[in-house]
Amino acid sequence: MSFIAIWVGKVLSFALRLFGRRATSLPGKAALRVCPSLLRRLSRQLEWCVVVTGTNGKTTTSAMLASILRQGQPIIHNQEGANLPQGLTTALLQHTSWRGRLLRRVALFEIDEATLPQVTAALPVQVLVVTNVFRDQLDRYGELDTTLDKLRAGIAGTDAVLVVNGDDPLSRHLAESSGHTVRYFGLAAEHAKDTEHGQTRDGAFCLRCGERLDYEAFFYGQLGLYRCPACGFHRPQPDFTGEIRGWSLRVREVGQPPSEVTLRTRGVFNVYNALAAVAAARTCDQSADHIAAGLTAFAPPLGRMQGYATHPPAVLNLIKNPTGCDSVLQAIVSEPGRKVLCIAINDLAADGRDVSWLWDADFDVLAGRADIVGCVTSGLRAEDMALRMKYAGFTGSMVVQPDLGAALDAALALSNSGPPSADDPTSTDVTVYVLSTYTALYAVAELLKGREHLHGAALAYRTSVS
Amino acid sequence: MAQPLHIAHLYPDLLNLYADRGNIRTLRMRCLWRGIEVTVSEVPAGSRPDFARYHLVLLGGGSDREQAIVGETLAKWKGELRAAIEAGMPLLAICGGYQLLGSYYQLPDGTKVPGLDLLDLVTVAGSPRLIGNVAVESDLCGTIVGFENHGGRTTHNHEPLGKVVRGCGNNGKDGYEGVQYKHVIGTYIHGPLLPKNPRLADLVLARARAYQGVDHPLEPLDDTLEDAARKAFLTRRVQL
Repeated sequence: MSFIAIWVGKVLSFALRLFGRRATSLPGKAALRVCPSLLRRLSRQLEWCVVVTGTNGKTTTSAMLASILRQGQPIIHNQEGANLPQGLTTALLQHTSWRGRLLRRVALFEIDEATLPQVTAALPVQVLVVTNVFRDQLDRYGELDTTLDKLRAGIAGTDAVLVVNGDDPLSRHLAESSGHTVRYFGLAAEHAKDTEHGQTRDGAFCLRCGERLDYEAFFYGQLGLYRCPACGFHRPQPDFTGEIRGWSLRVREVGQPPSEVTLRTRGVFNVYNALAAVAAARTCDQSADHIAAGLTAFAPPLGRMQGYATHPPAVLNLIKNPTGCDSVLQAIVSEPGRKVLCIAINDLAADGRDVSWLWDADFDVLAGRADIVGCVTSGLRAEDMALRMKYAGFTGSMVVQPDLGAALDAALALSNSGPPSADDPTSTDVTVYVLSTYTALYAVAELLKGREHLHGAALAYRTSVS
Repeated sequence: MAQPLHIAHLYPDLLNLYADRGNIRTLRMRCLWRGIEVTVSEVPAGSRPDFARYHLVLLGGGSDREQAIVGETLAKWKGELRAAIEAGMPLLAICGGYQLLGSYYQLPDGTKVPGLDLLDLVTVAGSPRLIGNVAVESDLCGTIVGFENHGGRTTHNHEPLGKVVRGCGNNGKDGYEGVQYKHVIGTYIHGPLLPKNPRLADLVLARARAYQGVDHPLEPLDDTLEDAARKAFLTRRVQL
């Protein structure tokens, strides 16, 4: 039975590729229909595997971890989005011989919280990473508990060592109540801020006793230095502590020399992704050399918080629909320091010719904030974007400049002119956040790269005298 | 002290296909900047609108299915809505909401989904969809600009909102776009409609204030950005 299923899957996979189609889940789906136990049969041949789950950052964390693990041996890794049982089966089939032998013995699976309980019992999970647990803002009631129940059931199906975000009270509760061995990662306390800008904090209540949690300070969202005043539930001392030093992340591990990795992307959540990947890699006994080489080889997709060493530094994000745009905006406002925004909106076919979606996106979060120094709007619809900012209630400096290069220059100039931050008058830390629709993205990336060279020498000089 | 201007957004949970919240936001901000107090009631699906209390009602666009649900819900209260309209209450109906004002929407298979029958207006599904940037000339407020995206072809026996200068309009044939009847405005133009058409926004607000019984002209606002966006649209997008 399983041979037929393997052949069905492999032939289908081959045929789909022949016609230039993505074969990330259909072959697995067909094969599972022929032989429902195929996933278990194939994964039985694995020596070990790592599972990455959680609400945000699964894809980036597992891509980084895959890059590290590949330094040691070839691995099986399911592709982005294909994290249902059929996606996992497809990934395994790709490395299965026609006679049913698995050619690679180590796998890394990114798995959706909802799918986790269906599959973990079939897999030899050695390490299970929980990036964080956020509740969907649209489903304010009920959803969160279902997610936690699914995660709980998924974890219970394994003997895995858990690698968990200790700064997140929801993940922490899940881990400590699981009875598994747990290794926590978290940011250094110095990075936590006691000021917040009215963001939703999902885990504000203690899951152990229901009391409201006390926070000494926050990293972002509900992630922070928390403690329950009633039952003593608290943020654990991390086994892996991340310290951010400009463009590098230093990871301190108990009983080990600290390791330093270069961050290719900005944003607190990207720091957490890198930290989770390093913590998981260490838990899988990967050497510091493999980790460094793996993270260097890791190439993030363009437009996901890419950093540019312009002066001041710039960060590039792709925006294309309200939901994605909202999470980018949330990420930006949760970053420390003063900010200048540069928003480039095109309306060519690949962007969508209708720009109404700008009015469904929550640009309103940018209004009334002292840390946002100014905003430059650009692209073929620069004026429409400026209007959106006006009606969002944004009253800071605004420049409308349809030309992308001139707009970036204007944004960099604005950053150098604003008043110091009200929160922290000593801070001279300003970042330009560039948001761009698809057809402007590559042009903007090139323009930013060009401006990096312009200031490279000046930057090096500054470092050497300080 | 005048009562706040009361705006109702009908069924935003079902009808918000083309960022209709942007229209509400525009009305709200243009009141706020003038120191006019505003209350916005979002009337959720299934609940009863209170037409006697509103000074302005917005009905947005949705998919055919959502539109049919709204039609059924609202049919029950169409007597109240008709009375308010006859008394001069402004109603702004966009895309699907516009089609709902008529007696029916005829699907491709010939089925007629009943509308609210408030206007002498019918819509028949057609192919292809009429999609693109649009500009119309209206005697109410000059050039109105925006985006249209509709399969339905609408014909009616009322005043149109304006004459199509660029784009397709009501049915792609007779050269007109939208409808006006008393203080009802129906149109396929979104984008959303009001931010880039501040004169239309102010006309709607002025009518709502008059209907409310407030006798104050609206103070002019600084519309530099609005004008820049209109100018950019007219030169770069519809080449006028």
